[in-house]
Amino acid sequence: MFRATLAICGRTVVKRFISSVSGESALPSNLRLPPNLIGVAPQKRASPCGSDLPVLRRCEADVPAHLAPAQMWLESLGSCDREPLGVVDLHPDVFSVPVRLDILHDVEVWQRNFKRISHAKVKSRAEVSGGGRKPWNQKGSGRARHGSIRSPLWRGGGVAHGPRGPTSYYYMLPMKVRVQGLKIALTAKLAQDYLHIVDSLEIPTPDPHYLLDLVKHRQWGDSVLIVDVGDEFPQNILKATEDLKTVNIIPAIGLNVHSMLKHESLVLTLEAVKFLEKKLLWHDVRYAPLYPFKLPYSDLP
Amino acid sequence: MSLTVCRAARVAYRAFNPATRSLSTGACLRTERNPAEGSRGFIVSTEEFRFVERLIPPSRIPTPPEHEGPAPSGWIPPSATLPSLPYMIRRSRMHNVPVYSDIKHGNQHSTLLRKIEGDIWALNKDVKEFLLGLTGKEPPTQVNEVTRTIRIKGQFDKELKEWLLKKGF
Repeated sequence: MFRATLAICGRTVVKRFISSVSGESALPSNLRLPPNLIGVAPQKRASPCGSDLPVLRRCEADVPAHLAPAQMWLESLGSCDREPLGVVDLHPDVFSVPVRLDILHDVEVWQRNFKRISHAKVKSRAEVSGGGRKPWNQKGSGRARHGSIRSPLWRGGGVAHGPRGPTSYYYMLPMKVRVQGLKIALTAKLAQDYLHIVDSLEIPTPDPHYLLDLVKHRQWGDSVLIVDVGDEFPQNILKATEDLKTVNIIPAIGLNVHSMLKHESLVLTLEAVKFLEKKLLWHDVRYAPLYPFKLPYSDLP
Repeated sequence: MSLTVCRAARVAYRAFNPATRSLSTGACLRTERNPAEGSRGFIVSTEEFRFVERLIPPSRIPTPPEHEGPAPSGWIPPSATLPSLPYMIRRSRMHNVPVYSDIKHGNQHSTLLRKIEGDIWALNKDVKEFLLGLTGKEPPTQVNEVTRTIRIKGQFDKELKEWLLKKGF
């Protein structure tokens, strides 16, 4: 066994030596790729920072003096291979916050569990039918002493410490933590090149294959979450995404951390970006609530 | 007695008879009967709602007006030019310097420095040098890179606040 471990250690040391000598493009040695892998490795696009295209959208809110707005391409869904229309400024306090993975985890776990009501319930010894009478005398029968035939020791008896009734797992994280979770998720999407900004959601056909081809051609990833503001969306995109499992469309009020993590890439319209910036930045400059924010204040976002 | 009874009965009769009733005897306020309002007899107006609207409080903290130098209360605004340091300390939402003192178990004093951006270790070094010059010994500090805070042993909130204000944060 000692010889086997020596052989394995030797092999890994040799692999590491090879990878460091061959250059930066070598894959890590412990990565196992399936032999039938199809697909082109995603090409990294040029960053929009030093491009010639005009900046089509500036941030409405004031950007702090020591931070610069993050930039992203503005694309269009009109045709598959259209070039980006321009560059869009994104507020750094929403799209470049320090990425706190612990807050992201907390918000994701909260989103899964706060709605959970587990209906598991088993009968205790009081609820199982029967078992009111002492089965035999305390003394004299030669058998162990028992008080009821439904005690947890007995076959067919009640469960001693089982799940009792509908249990609620409801709890609320502070509002600012949930807001920070959204900001961190948006920052992570931008930093990993999975965020795309689009001017509007108008597509030429209601055919779902058009959207799938577009996503494949632009290498947006396996699953796409499209976000827009308002009650009404163009009919074409609604019909196209209706039967698709991996491309989904939601209004901006429905944006949440779980959906952002579930879908590989996120597509926002310009109005959605404006809406999100307004709503998320308000939490940085608001008072503590005098009464719940559901009631009217003079300047809610 | 019969006279007062008759007088009271006459007054009551007058009050209840609509023909002889005057406006002061418990009648409801009546405005001009305008045929446009229907049969209810009062005008519906929403212009007086501005008296309610001006009572509803704001939700946003206002930005303080421009001061040159300290305000009469002692508040000092952040400097207009950014200090050219590798780190930055933002103001709290009430526009104060984010230095807080903390006591645990009645005897463990510490100072918390929050909202740090940039090179946190450079700030840690500067804080230690400043407090060495102040007290003669280097206080132990805890740098939390995840939450972007520095916790210093000992209560130095006033001195640290003045030091940061002098730097221009």
